[in-house]
Amino acid sequence: MIRYILGRIASIALTFTVVSVIVFLMMHAVPGGPFDGNDMPVSDEVKAKLNASLGLDQPLYVQYFKYMWGVLHFDFGIPFQSPGETTLQLLSRAWPPSLILGGAGVLIGAPLGILLGMAAALRRNSWIDYLASAFATLGLTIPVFVISMGLIMVFAVWLNWLPASGWGKPHSWILPITAYAAIPMATYARYTRSAMLDVLTKPFVTVLRAKGLSERRIIFQHVLRNAALPMVTVFLPMFIGTATGSIFVEAMFRVPGLGAYFVSSITLRDYSLEMALILMVTMMFCIAYLLSDIVYALLNPRIRVGRRS
Amino acid sequence: MTQRSPLYFALRRFADNKAAVVAGIVLAVIVLMAVFAPLISKTGYADQDFLAQSYAFPSGTFWFGVDDLGRDFFTRIVYGARVSLTIGFAAAAFSVLIGIPLGAIAGYYGGWADWGVMRLIELFSVVPPLLAAMLLGALTNGGFLTIVLIAALFGWVQVCLLVRAQVKAFREKEFVRAAAALGASPGYIIHRHLIPNALSPIIVGFVLAIPLAMMLDASLSFLGIGVPPPTPSWGQMINVGMNFMYFYWHLAVFPTAALAITVLATTLFGDGLRDALDPTLKGR
Repeated sequence: MIRYILGRIASIALTFTVVSVIVFLMMHAVPGGPFDGNDMPVSDEVKAKLNASLGLDQPLYVQYFKYMWGVLHFDFGIPFQSPGETTLQLLSRAWPPSLILGGAGVLIGAPLGILLGMAAALRRNSWIDYLASAFATLGLTIPVFVISMGLIMVFAVWLNWLPASGWGKPHSWILPITAYAAIPMATYARYTRSAMLDVLTKPFVTVLRAKGLSERRIIFQHVLRNAALPMVTVFLPMFIGTATGSIFVEAMFRVPGLGAYFVSSITLRDYSLEMALILMVTMMFCIAYLLSDIVYALLNPRIRVGRRS
Repeated sequence: MTQRSPLYFALRRFADNKAAVVAGIVLAVIVLMAVFAPLISKTGYADQDFLAQSYAFPSGTFWFGVDDLGRDFFTRIVYGARVSLTIGFAAAAFSVLIGIPLGAIAGYYGGWADWGVMRLIELFSVVPPLLAAMLLGALTNGGFLTIVLIAALFGWVQVCLLVRAQVKAFREKEFVRAAAALGASPGYIIHRHLIPNALSPIIVGFVLAIPLAMMLDASLSFLGIGVPPPTPSWGQMINVGMNFMYFYWHLAVFPTAALAITVLATTLFGDGLRDALDPTLKGR
């Protein structure tokens, strides 16, 4: 197990390095620099001075190693679009809204999806099964900005129950959280249904029924425990994906979260912030996948990691 | 007694799946509309023939109303299907072209080749596609071909994994070992025996890559880095329509519905195809 984890960590380090090099090169290959915008034109001398003060006049590989050396010390540089603070300060200011809304979305959506999937699997081919399937397919195929727009149209424009956008009062959180919850709920409804159906057809369930166990005990003690395995493993990556904010949900509901910075760091050539965002998300995904694999192995004694064929 | 072919059973299983059949019909209608767009629309997609009636609501003359620049909105939506479907099919084709060889090599040779391909896939699984797509879009200034290539760059992974699994499962079968014993080269075995046996996952992978590419195109267009105007793209129309949502609902609702219906139909059709071609996978 420990050997397996060490191997995975080495593999993560490799992935991380490759991603950082590719992103760094791509970022700098985009024509134009941070001071080439037309909003505030600066003379060539000033531009040269600014670039020199930020180290942008040095060869790319020097810039890369300087930046990565900083990253190893949790120094992600200074965001050019907001030079009064460090990148870390900007992230710690912009992340909480995304974390609250996205996190709440997953924490509400996932259990609801599990319940829906369970109901669908236990009452196969009933109206609730069709409803769950329809919901799961819709949730995964309709783009999230369309879902957001639908919510705004119905609850803010026609019914006028909730504010269409904003961030401040908790009741303005309801619509964005609902939009965030749609994907986890749909994913979990789908996963739970298929995992439960998979287990329900296993011979050991028939044996349990023949033994005369109550249906409730069969479901909760045996079927659910076996079906839970794939469900546990998708949770962490999904949480990371949602809680780092969605560009679309945040743009639709005017939430001052991380989402907007993903776009602005690219359009404004805000190299430090761009690298910081991509490296951060990549690293969190790597760790999430590693942790889910470990949890999977711990929960499932049938899997012996490290001795894979 | 005549013997039924596997294709017959696959078709029968597909016909039993009502959702998939309806989705297939809807998809066929959309494809026909896209192909014959000039025949069913009165004007060109960029003609500003109705400037005086800009923002007009849907009516008998203008089925979907008129947009902010005086263009017949029904025409724009119909031509949008062309853009969306072309991107979807082209990206899926490229995904298959990348995914098959890599999947076959990883599955057949195993060892280092497999390790390399799996690390490559890992790379694509930890980088959020939208971020990478935005960066690539900025790098190449968008455009039709770019969108197709970006979508293929993230679409091949699924095809590759499907092909790899299938090739791995068939590699040790007797007929493959017999072919090898007769002196067939690995290239011949892969091309003559393994890939034909992986055909149904490839078809499924192809169909399911289409909606993903269409979603990515819509998302990028929504952010303004998709296909440049005046080419009618649904994502771009949604983006514009959003600005007028409170007053002229039709500008946002029609492209949204068009996108949702097309993506939904393609996904359901693909799901049905997968269940029909490979009954053991049913319900996943």
